[in-house]
Amino acid sequence: MMSSVPSLDKKSKLLVYTIEECPICGQKTKRAFQVGDYVTKDGAKCTKDGNTTKISLVYAEPAPRQSS
Amino acid sequence: MLSLLTGVQLQALPIDSNTLLSVLWVASFFVFFFYGTRLQTYNALREVGSGLNKLKVMKDKARKEAIEYLTNVGKAPADPTQRVDQFLDYVTIMPVDMDPQGLVGKVDHVVTTNNERVRGEVASLIGQTNPVSVSISENLLEVATSLNQIHKIVRHYYLMGKKTNSYFTIVQLQMLMPLIIQEADALLNAVDSFKVGQPVGDGIGAVVAARYMVGKEKRAVAKDTVMAISEYKGRKLYVLKAEGPMAYVGQPGLAIKKVVDELGVKPSAIIMVDAALKLEGEKTGEIAEGVGAAIGGIGVEKFQIEEAATNHKIPLYAILVKQSLVEAITVMRKEIAEATDKVIQVLNRVIEEKTKEGDEVLVAGIGNTLGVAQ
Repeated sequence: MMSSVPSLDKKSKLLVYTIEECPICGQKTKRAFQVGDYVTKDGAKCTKDGNTTKISLVYAEPAPRQSS
Repeated sequence: MLSLLTGVQLQALPIDSNTLLSVLWVASFFVFFFYGTRLQTYNALREVGSGLNKLKVMKDKARKEAIEYLTNVGKAPADPTQRVDQFLDYVTIMPVDMDPQGLVGKVDHVVTTNNERVRGEVASLIGQTNPVSVSISENLLEVATSLNQIHKIVRHYYLMGKKTNSYFTIVQLQMLMPLIIQEADALLNAVDSFKVGQPVGDGIGAVVAARYMVGKEKRAVAKDTVMAISEYKGRKLYVLKAEGPMAYVGQPGLAIKKVVDELGVKPSAIIMVDAALKLEGEKTGEIAEGVGAAIGGIGVEKFQIEEAATNHKIPLYAILVKQSLVEAITVMRKEIAEATDKVIQVLNRVIEEKTKEGDEVLVAGIGNTLGVAQ
């Protein structure tokens, strides 16, 4: 009887990132997710040794709060 | 304040304010005594009605998103609206359980028939054969169907309670409403992740398995399920997961059964990695170890895995990554994704502790593999 229906519009905004990892030197690069990205897909060239990176993770984290 | 006001206003009346307040108090006592339940019913009806409106908005949105995806991405040759509406009302009738012998096989048969029907329906609706788009369309339609069902059931009890003026029906519904809305909201949020092919929290098992499968030759072992052979410290690893990056969960039960029964593999351990629902207070991304078949769903896959493990006396180990329902079906959170390396460490330790060099080990990454190839 004390229950209340939660509001739909109080969602925290999430930003989705793709992590590209060099299989040789292990360098990780974080960039914004693009449609078509998936884990194990080939990524860009590694900025350190020029090898082709692979997407190792795709994840979301809360957007940083904007100061008003 | 009230007595002051009434005292001022009622000076002209033949009764004093104290008497009037006493009369009002006694009258309100009788009103609440005889009509209290009815007043609470009105209040509960109003609250449930508001929740029902939210559910309607959600199910309409999920339906609209599914139609838009089928039209724009799926390149449906004709307007899919009518077919989608028919699809939303399609029912799966579970087999009778009065005689439980062979029930799992019957449930498996019904569920497999339903899955094939969904895939066939989607294939006839869209104008392209890209497996990722087809699988996403299937998932979007399933989300829309689930929300449609939730709305219908809640509406049924709401109208029943209203019609019969049943306080208990309405109050039960009112108490459950926050949980129902939360679940429906999670389903609706899943639509956004599915549409763009982002991995969901439930896919953590698939992410872990994919790490062992990259660059290895893959073979299909069951419908939508692939396996690769890898190696770790002298052990031969048979790693399987659903075939990604499609939004598949595969048939890990059948796959494990096939590997053990038909392919002649004699694993010293079966290790399953899956997402697990956390309890309130537990942290997202926390890892738990255990024994048993780590797999959710209706129970068919779990039964098949337990049966294969029991028949061959293979120990079953589980590694679980904790998350909430919302996190499991929406885009993978950072805490869950970052648990991957820790899960691999735990998995390697379990392999080292429970098996010896030269052994064969079966590793199964369980979960929806959307956005996770291998």
